[in-house]
Amino acid sequence: MRVNALDTTFAALADPTRRAIVARLAQGDATVNELAEPFDMSLPAISKHLKVLERSGLISRSRHAQFRPCHLEREALDVAADWIEENRRSWAERFDKLDRHLREIQRAAGPREEDHDR
Amino acid sequence: MTDHTPDADELIFTRVVEAPRELVFRCMTEPDHLTHFWGPAGVSAPLDQITVDARPGGVFETVMVNDADGSEYRTRAIYDEVVAPERLAWTDPDTGMTTTSTFTDLGGNRTEIRIHQAKVPETFRSPQAQAGFLSSLDRFAAYLGQLSAR
Repeated sequence: MRVNALDTTFAALADPTRRAIVARLAQGDATVNELAEPFDMSLPAISKHLKVLERSGLISRSRHAQFRPCHLEREALDVAADWIEENRRSWAERFDKLDRHLREIQRAAGPREEDHDR
Repeated sequence: MTDHTPDADELIFTRVVEAPRELVFRCMTEPDHLTHFWGPAGVSAPLDQITVDARPGGVFETVMVNDADGSEYRTRAIYDEVVAPERLAWTDPDTGMTTTSTFTDLGGNRTEIRIHQAKVPETFRSPQAQAGFLSSLDRFAAYLGQLSAR
């Protein structure tokens, strides 16, 4: 499991402004000016958020195009989403096993309480 | 799922098992039982590598062994609360994530187990997350949109 990458991803997404930026980029690439529009924030402040997102691998920015549009790296986001699903599945599988284990030990203890051979 | 609406900061999983609450609690706190179920599918939790010191401040450690390739993954937590047979809480010191297990006697040899994970990173949260539908990115994006719209 890529724990460090995941930590960086979640740290990046912990901020509501950055989540909003990611949500916007899910609809398509956008320039810094376009991203800054809905926020009451200066361009340098938005740029700071974009740098955090870029470091986390969640977004990339074109090196060549004049306005350096931001692009959402969906794979990084999927890694985060997968963690939730994996966590849920782990508990479900554990409970499945616990269920079987409980059946077995209760069947063994069963109606014959005096029988202690498990 | 229960009818409890999770807050924004928690993940909740519930399951009802056919067993008395005391027995379920023992299963969650005794290595002899834990070794039978603690690893998810395809993963074992060897008995000799389970440490349970079930009291506040005590250690709960396991080693998960992947049955397919033998790779190991160690888990370590510190108990915050041990209230037999109704509640068990521990914290992972590395991530700060807390896990609280609550056992409710439903009568008729049935027990509800409720696992509540808190202080999970923000994007792990929400009922939608628990439904597991986040594997679809577009929906994940919609969820992020909802969060930001609040």
